[in-house]
Amino acid sequence: MQERSGAAIVMESLVKHGIDTLFGYPGGVVLPLYDEMLNWPQVKHVLVRHEQCAAHMADGYARATGRVGVCLATSGPGATNLVTGIANAMMDSIPMVCLTGNVNSWAIGKDAFQETDIQGITIPITKHNYLVTDVNDLPYVLAEAFYLANTGRKGPVLVDIPKDVFQKMTSNPFPTEIHRRGYQLPPDPDPAQIATAVAMIEAAQRPVLIAGAGVLWGEAFDELKTFAETNDIPVINSLLGLGTFPRDHELSLGMMGMHGEATGTLAVQAADLVIGIGARFDDRLTGDTKAFAANAKILHFDLDPAEVGKTVSPRAWVIGDVKATLGEINKLRTTQLSHPEWREQIRGWQAQYPLMVPEGKFLSRTVLRALNEHTNGEAIVATDVGQHQMWTAQFYKFKKPFNWMSSGGLGTMGFGFPAAIGAKFARPDHEVWAVVGDGGFQMTLQELQTAVEYGVNVKIALLNNGYLGMVRQWQELFYDNRYSSVAMGSPDFGKLAEAYGVKYFRCDRCEDLDATMEAARAHNGPVLCEFVVEMEENVYPMVPAGGSNSSVIMDPALTHVEPPEDVVASFETTHSVHHAPEVAPSLTGANK
Amino acid sequence: MNTEEIVVSQKHTVTALVQNESGTINRVVSLFRRRGFSLASFNAGDCEEPGLSRMTFIVEGDLSVVEQVLKQLDKLIDVVECSALPAESSVSRELALIRVQPTAEQRDSLYNLVLEFYGKTPGAQGDQIVVEFTGSVAEVEDVIKALQPFHIQEIVRTGVVAMSL
Repeated sequence: MQERSGAAIVMESLVKHGIDTLFGYPGGVVLPLYDEMLNWPQVKHVLVRHEQCAAHMADGYARATGRVGVCLATSGPGATNLVTGIANAMMDSIPMVCLTGNVNSWAIGKDAFQETDIQGITIPITKHNYLVTDVNDLPYVLAEAFYLANTGRKGPVLVDIPKDVFQKMTSNPFPTEIHRRGYQLPPDPDPAQIATAVAMIEAAQRPVLIAGAGVLWGEAFDELKTFAETNDIPVINSLLGLGTFPRDHELSLGMMGMHGEATGTLAVQAADLVIGIGARFDDRLTGDTKAFAANAKILHFDLDPAEVGKTVSPRAWVIGDVKATLGEINKLRTTQLSHPEWREQIRGWQAQYPLMVPEGKFLSRTVLRALNEHTNGEAIVATDVGQHQMWTAQFYKFKKPFNWMSSGGLGTMGFGFPAAIGAKFARPDHEVWAVVGDGGFQMTLQELQTAVEYGVNVKIALLNNGYLGMVRQWQELFYDNRYSSVAMGSPDFGKLAEAYGVKYFRCDRCEDLDATMEAARAHNGPVLCEFVVEMEENVYPMVPAGGSNSSVIMDPALTHVEPPEDVVASFETTHSVHHAPEVAPSLTGANK
Repeated sequence: MNTEEIVVSQKHTVTALVQNESGTINRVVSLFRRRGFSLASFNAGDCEEPGLSRMTFIVEGDLSVVEQVLKQLDKLIDVVECSALPAESSVSRELALIRVQPTAEQRDSLYNLVLEFYGKTPGAQGDQIVVEFTGSVAEVEDVIKALQPFHIQEIVRTGVVAMSL
């Protein structure tokens, strides 16, 4: 093989892996790579305004396609600026390859200018990482990095490359296959575990399933739909599982968790079988694990054995790719099951505890309901973390996978806008919205310039309530209305948009909402829509952190209904919820 | 009589075969720290295969903790294999070097004590003598206790190494 430089090897590896776009920011030690880049026009480099956003854009690119996203930063501060973005991707198991330059290999460890130990720093927040000190290792390492990022439980992999390694030459070829001892792809599902699962499903009277992002990354949507329909099992999604099951399907109950729809929460508490599929039962979903699904056996399908039994104790499980697991079960379980009484009870809860959008006020919920209607639930939507995120999860009725990107695990403010830009680069023909709050948007709004420069047609729905809304909500509910550092001043967003050259709309009343949505959607280019909404709006339902899912706080607007006994804490008893005895719900009277 | 099961925190021996690369030890030890696993002892060294190392960990916790330790270790790309060693079907040993400074009158009884414990005295400098002892953790601690009268100056222990039978 012909000799070529380390920099050329990096570019060649991107092309080999079908990477058409990478997001990055140059600096001293990556100069050889940026120089080489000019020879590779098939790879578009997107120049960001802060490296954190390069990572978030690569993340959005991955979430919109299921493919590996790539970001690039220089040594020292460039590399450390990636850290939040990498941690975000790690928590949500996003396939990413993060490239960093480092000082010359002979200068490492000598506190050289812009030197930092990015390998050491990112050990806890990467699936794996490398410091490549010999150019001869580079072809293999890059191939392995892409392989690790995109197989098994996916995740970010960082490759740190010293400046001289970019410059040195090697004739070493890329490997034709990756063999990493001790790294195994998920096993085929065990027939005995499958048989147990089938028996549990057949015995269940009140089953529900919780579909997580494992269904997304395992691309098991068709299998999930068949499984749910054949076995007549209502489908709840975790936050990141939204979109893996059509929200307009009659079996869909939407999201569950701290701010999940009440029906899903009540159903899990009353169920006799809860099937977790590619979901990791995180604390925002389970609430107090001791009280979680107190009447149910838990069945867990996951490719990561470490997730089984980590937070809740399943009765049985199947380790393996969820697509294979559901496929095997679908082969065995072909006769139609039906649970008419259970479904009836669930329909009753849905009627009794709907999501509320009080009329006559201009609320975040009003805006998000309209966004869903105008885009028919078919746009790509990216969010930060907080109230707007939960309302989007509640009111945006995702029909298809790979359209939803939200910072689930890490809860990163500032994620949504750059993620939306990354998604738009990946799927330029698809409508893309970033839903952000006034707090989060101010963390990464410098990327407006990136959007303008590249003509990225991303719409920003900025829900401006003048507060860090979720923090304010907690201070209202759990800290006796003592607001501490949550009032959020903002610049004049109209002038800001003008300064960046971004189309701007402002809307502060229901009457203008439809026209604003239409105008924003019609404009070809980045648009900032500022919706000046009610300042003190709370997200309901709500399970207080660490509280039992049996004590969900309902929307106080639901005054016309009696909460079911033991299950629903009334709004007034908020403060006692933390100390309330963990009473299992007695909803059906049939629980043993 | 109280027949309820009492969950006690116990010490468990875990061993791992790992690929020896840049950052490997850091990565493995960092896992224990960040997940809050209690690591009572850690040892790493070369093994029968070039390029690989074998690590021995003493982990404190109940069985569910050990299970999570193994599953999380197994997820590390560097870890080739790992397992927990049952006490009844494994051997575990620790080596200790103990520098003592006996008085002239104590010297004979020190050498007798070392013989009694099957220890060694691989070196001496001036009036200081290095005692070497290998045994189980409990035996090492017994020896250290027995050496207290001889004016211990310094103790170095390897941490436990273990192997299944």
